[in-house]
Amino acid sequence: MKSWERAWRGGKNDWRLHMLSVFSVAVAFVCLAAALLVVVNIDSVRNRWASTGRISVFLKATASPDQAQKLETALRATPGVADVNFVSSRDARADIMKNGGGDLLAKLPDAAFPASLELKTVGDPTGEELKTLAARVESLPAVESIETYSGWTQKLGNLLTGGVTAAVLLALVVFGAVVSVVGSTMRLTLQRRRIEVEVLKLVGATDAYVRRPFVVEGAAQGALGASLAIALLGVLYAIVTQRLDGELALLVGASPTFLPWTFVLGTVATGAALGASAAYVSLRRLLVV
Amino acid sequence: MEGVDESGTFRPMLRAGARFDPSAANKPILVFQDVHKAYKADAPVLRGMNLGIERGEFVFFTGPSGAGKSTLLRLLYAEESLDSGRILFMGREVGRLTPEAIPFLRRNIGVVFQDFKLVENWSVTENVALPLEVLGLPARLIRQRTGEALERVGLGGRGNDLAGTLSGGEQQRVAIARAIVGEPALVLADEPTGNLDPQLAVDILGLFEDIHDTGVTVIFATHDRSLLDIRPRRVVILQDGKTIDAPNGLEDPEELDQLQVA
Ligand SMILES: Nc1ncnc2c1ncn2[C@@H]1O[C@H](COP(=O)(O)OP(=O)(O)OP(=O)(O)O)[C@@H](O)[C@H]1O
Ligand SMILES: [Mg+2]
Repeated sequence: MKSWERAWRGGKNDWRLHMLSVFSVAVAFVCLAAALLVVVNIDSVRNRWASTGRISVFLKATASPDQAQKLETALRATPGVADVNFVSSRDARADIMKNGGGDLLAKLPDAAFPASLELKTVGDPTGEELKTLAARVESLPAVESIETYSGWTQKLGNLLTGGVTAAVLLALVVFGAVVSVVGSTMRLTLQRRRIEVEVLKLVGATDAYVRRPFVVEGAAQGALGASLAIALLGVLYAIVTQRLDGELALLVGASPTFLPWTFVLGTVATGAALGASAAYVSLRRLLVV
Repeated sequence: MEGVDESGTFRPMLRAGARFDPSAANKPILVFQDVHKAYKADAPVLRGMNLGIERGEFVFFTGPSGAGKSTLLRLLYAEESLDSGRILFMGREVGRLTPEAIPFLRRNIGVVFQDFKLVENWSVTENVALPLEVLGLPARLIRQRTGEALERVGLGGRGNDLAGTLSGGEQQRVAIARAIVGEPALVLADEPTGNLDPQLAVDILGLFEDIHDTGVTVIFATHDRSLLDIRPRRVVILQDGKTIDAPNGLEDPEELDQLQVA
């Protein structure tokens, strides 16, 4: 009889106890997975902003179309610039209004929206490269100001660091909770099945043989709890993103993503590993010949 | 299979299929030499007991409550460790087995208790099959041998019943089937009839005699005097931490006289 068959035989009699354990593990993992989801999305927004390789060159209000034309030609010739696109005041306004600008913005004249040259850089420049390029462009005549969006990247980077730190701390708490939940479930189930364990040892089962189905049960509890947590989070995520209807997505420049499958697998694997080790450790102390 | 020596640390010498050591055939299967055991220093249970049991013997262990019958059996299957002296089972010193070797010792010993120790929410078959599953035998062989063991204890056809639903006498039969299914060389019974009424007790004793008839060494611990008198058998009395041997049972007047002297 395989270990998992023995685990199933033992577990099905105590299914209520195991369900309780799985739910507790799931609750713990939902917190962690939610934190991961937030971190993943901050990261995706940051990457979106960091890797745009975009520079907006805002023109002086006094700049004539001729000057703008000259500037565009000059920029095209600048090394590191892949493409230049002129956005007139009218275009800029239309663009913003399209995204739902509201009444107040609609009342403003075209001139309130500065014309700009939108640069696309070659490849994905590093922050340093972007900075040199920006400095060079800024010194050109007719340029009012430029925006490299690196400030945003920086801010999001900081937020991300904070998020990761919080997630790591949360993970420690969650791991502790999972280990203690699975560990005490195992101690309880061992208590209920002590005759089975006693007889197993009496008929010459090795400690490893006795322990194996319990470890399988612990792993199953951890994995099931983690999977349940992911499923639950998936449902919550679907509900939230359905209401989001694109506006917010446009505002931050990236649409929300769910946890990538590597994270999902990793969470389930972590659940299994924690459950298995919790079972192993709690039995080690109780199963001495 | 029985006598499988996975760890290489316990190699029984007289098992079917196992390496046969002719010299072992002439040696007692079980030897106790000057065995001392105390749970508390001021109340020793065994105080230098000596005993030899031949292969294929049927021996009663008896003695007053608290004399140490259960202790002696637990020492044998290494559930307890002895303080000094030696216990030799099939030529191997039990007290010196490493923890890893103990399971392999136990695969050669079947044990039956007063309280049956069955997993009540398992079927009879599952309970009996346990020693074979521990050995990792193929499912088909396990089914076959489990069925045979149940036949031998008169429970053929009851395999699918839950163990907890059986009567006390039936439960003890299941426990006996579990003890013999692995074809151990030695079967230990610690007051197996203690929870059963007198007629059932006699039936159960009869089962152990049947097992004994197949060549298995049986040690039957009891303080039920009526069982001892059914047939003249070797009786070992535990008293004051030592053994008194009555090779022909307690019925023999001469023996009894000697016992008084001892
Ligand atoms: N685990 C233990 N810890 C401490 N003392 C024990 C333990 N097991 C047994 N004893 C003591 O050792 C003595 C012998 O006990 P044991 O159970 O071997 O007697 P027994 O002959 O089997 O008695 P009974 O006929 O009542 O079953 C008793 O005094 C008992 O209290
Ligand atoms: Mg006893």
